Amino acid sequence: MTQRLTIAELLQADPNDIGCEQGFALISEYVDLEVAGGDAAARFPGLALHLATCPACRIDHDAILDAARTEQPTT
Amino acid sequence: MTESLLQEPMLTGGLDDHWLATRPPNALDSASLAWLEELRADGARRDRRVRELHAHLVRVALREVSRRRGMLGGASGPELEDIAHQAAADAVVSIMEHLDDYRGASKFTTWAYRFVINEVSTKTRRHLWSARRVEFDDYDWERLPDRLTRAPDAQVAQSAQLAALRRAVDNELSPRQRYVFVAVALNEAPIDVVALQLGSTRGAIYKTLFDARAKLRVSLAEAGYPITDAERGS
Repeated sequence: MTQRLTIAELLQADPNDIGCEQGFALISEYVDLEVAGGDAAARFPGLALHLATCPACRIDHDAILDAARTEQPTT
Repeated sequence: MTESLLQEPMLTGGLDDHWLATRPPNALDSASLAWLEELRADGARRDRRVRELHAHLVRVALREVSRRRGMLGGASGPELEDIAHQAAADAVVSIMEHLDDYRGASKFTTWAYRFVINEVSTKTRRHLWSARRVEFDDYDWERLPDRLTRAPDAQVAQSAQLAALRRAVDNELSPRQRYVFVAVALNEAPIDVVALQLGSTRGAIYKTLFDARAKLRVSLAEAGYPITDAERGS
């Protein structure tokens, strides 16, 4: 579970990080773009930065992406 | 119910604001339009769609809870199923309450997934917290060098930098910033569990952690141990 970090990663605080709240607001657009093969990180760089820094939001993102890629409504 | 991330304090990042301000008018795909129209309909038509949405989100939640089984420690199969079913039911309620917020910027189903995954996260952290009420305020600083990468010949320099970091943690952070930094950054506690422990939200704890890290970087630079070249002159 523990992985080695640089001290810069331990103290990651980039002002372009949009945080959990705004990230949550944009996450479904980000995921749709990823599923469509687009460059989501280029369109939403602040969210990409946040997902690289916030493990909780990254886990949620991965779950939403997995659902969007695999789930099909029954009708 | 959804503990809405929409109500949490924001960081100041703004690189995505341009996209938010300039994105094109929403053009709903036909499937999303059908979801929206039928969930807004009356009677049996609406009820059928609600049931369909619920069944769909139950599948998503069951798979996600199963994936988080490792995090949930000793949770039994029925407990995991219960978490998933509760998450799906609460997500449906939240989605119906927020239906007017859906603008078609994404597919309806992707928009709905964030509600159910948010519910799974909320319920998972409650389960974690109820099963493992531990404090995270102590840290063995001797362990930190082993967590960090370093150049083979940089041990002495890093030791001095980490000593400065420890002094900054002790002297520069507020008690709440110190607790959150020690818990999340050093002890690797799940941020959602710390949020529950402090009666807060993920976004607020993340903001506290962000501010603590920024303050520590400034302190290190002032002490002569900048993290980046840009901070060397700060």
